[in-house]
Amino acid sequence: MNTKRHELTKASLAIAALALLALPATAQQPAKLRGFPNGVPPVKARKPPAPPTGATPKTPEGKTDFSGVWVLQGSTTISAEPSYQPWAQKLYEQRKAAKGKGDPESFCLPDGAVRVTALPYKFVQGPKMIVVLSEGNTHSFRRFFLDGRKPDPQLDLDPNMYTGVSIGHWDGDALVVDTVGFNDKTWLDPSGKPHSDAMKLTERYTRPDLGHLNVDITVDDEKALTKPFTFKRVFALAPGWDLQEYVCQAILDGVEAP
Amino acid sequence: MKKWLISAAATGALSLTLAALAAPQSTPAPQNAGAPPAAAGGRGRGRGAPRRGPGGPVPLLSDGHPDFSGIWNGQQTVQGNDVTSTGPGASPTTGVPPMLPWAVKVQADRAKNQFADDFEARCLPGGPPRVPPYHIELFSTPKLVLMLFEGNTHMYRQFFVDGSDHPKNLKPTFYGDSRAHWEGDQLVVDTIGFNDISWIDGQGHPHSKQMHLVEKFRRPDFGNLQIEVDIDDPGTYQGHWHMNRVTTIEQGMEITEYVCNENNQDPGHLDHANNDGKHP
Repeated sequence: MNTKRHELTKASLAIAALALLALPATAQQPAKLRGFPNGVPPVKARKPPAPPTGATPKTPEGKTDFSGVWVLQGSTTISAEPSYQPWAQKLYEQRKAAKGKGDPESFCLPDGAVRVTALPYKFVQGPKMIVVLSEGNTHSFRRFFLDGRKPDPQLDLDPNMYTGVSIGHWDGDALVVDTVGFNDKTWLDPSGKPHSDAMKLTERYTRPDLGHLNVDITVDDEKALTKPFTFKRVFALAPGWDLQEYVCQAILDGVEAP
Repeated sequence: MKKWLISAAATGALSLTLAALAAPQSTPAPQNAGAPPAAAGGRGRGRGAPRRGPGGPVPLLSDGHPDFSGIWNGQQTVQGNDVTSTGPGASPTTGVPPMLPWAVKVQADRAKNQFADDFEARCLPGGPPRVPPYHIELFSTPKLVLMLFEGNTHMYRQFFVDGSDHPKNLKPTFYGDSRAHWEGDQLVVDTIGFNDISWIDGQGHPHSKQMHLVEKFRRPDFGNLQIEVDIDDPGTYQGHWHMNRVTTIEQGMEITEYVCNENNQDPGHLDHANNDGKHP
């Protein structure tokens, strides 16, 4: 079914494009994108209330309940310095020297699965899926499938994604999410850490108490790294908060104020 | 020759074109000559008369309410299926309620411009109530239902089913603020707080910040979803707008990652809108 739909989609797009637009071959290259020259304008910061104290909530099935609105504590820049292969190190140095110029985020493109913003995230949890909604960046979502599926059919459908395909499983109270199927277009953090389409991401989510969400992250990438690297993020629950609408493109186009 | 630059804005613009094909013809639409009647029933991935999804029992949430979770085909969630309206001078053929004079002018200008100013084609949210011609995913939990869009902006809507009311002093947004409650097996989603940027349909029908949208979701059996859409916007229309939408479950599929802005080829057009004088 997936393959069929993939072909249908591609075919219908191709046919429509040919029939309606007589698309020249060069038009299939991405156009010169317009972006914020100095990065995405900062959003007026909302100071989150202090995280509450209390016991870790559980779902009716007895699993850790990650539901809630969460705000990153600390920097969006990854503290670890990856051990890069020469080509990736060179690219990383170039990006650092360019001081953020060319940052995909400044073109309102997706941050992917590793990079995070300072704006809140919301976890919506069901027994078979967790959806992570993002307020910032592209105001989009990630989905963690908990239904025991294998990644292959989805990869067949769409092998090169910004956010990849994320499949979770429970390890006691921890949720372990494995993600593959990436493209190589995102930066892992604002400093420009590169990765390849061979990246494998492992996130281990734990909620030690009511107010905190810990994520232990391992990035493996045989094409870009000489060895995997790990780092940790902590998010604080923002009680009473919900996500606001943020449309990067509308700010870029001047139809909405930052 | 530069026309293709606009048109090739990939699926955003493509959906615009297809939307123009499918939308009610209250004004002359481009490129619709010879379109088969069936085309009026859908758009996007394939077109044709609405089909029936598989029957079977409706999955239930832990609180006993219907669970809408699943991938729902986008092609039939179009307003063209069944649109009616009331009010003085309401058109029996197009289903568009009578517009206030400013709206008549705005819509006519958009039509005259071949709908080239459609924000959806510039990777901005197209709605609601307008829906992208791609699949949507619904994710139901007892207190919150999510609508995840594959197409258009690949964003989401949240329907709060927790008994809460709309917050006071809502900041106008593309997606508005949605509060929902159950009436029997029907989820009634009430949305206000819209900005006035998006269009109601591919025909450029405008709306104001006063728009009040009510969507009633009902899953009569496993494979089918009915969405009744009611629009009241006294700032734009003198009557009431009613749409019946239907969609079917897509089993064994997932919504894909759709990144409109990756191939947004319309920035030149936007520059024109920003008065730098350049138009592709």
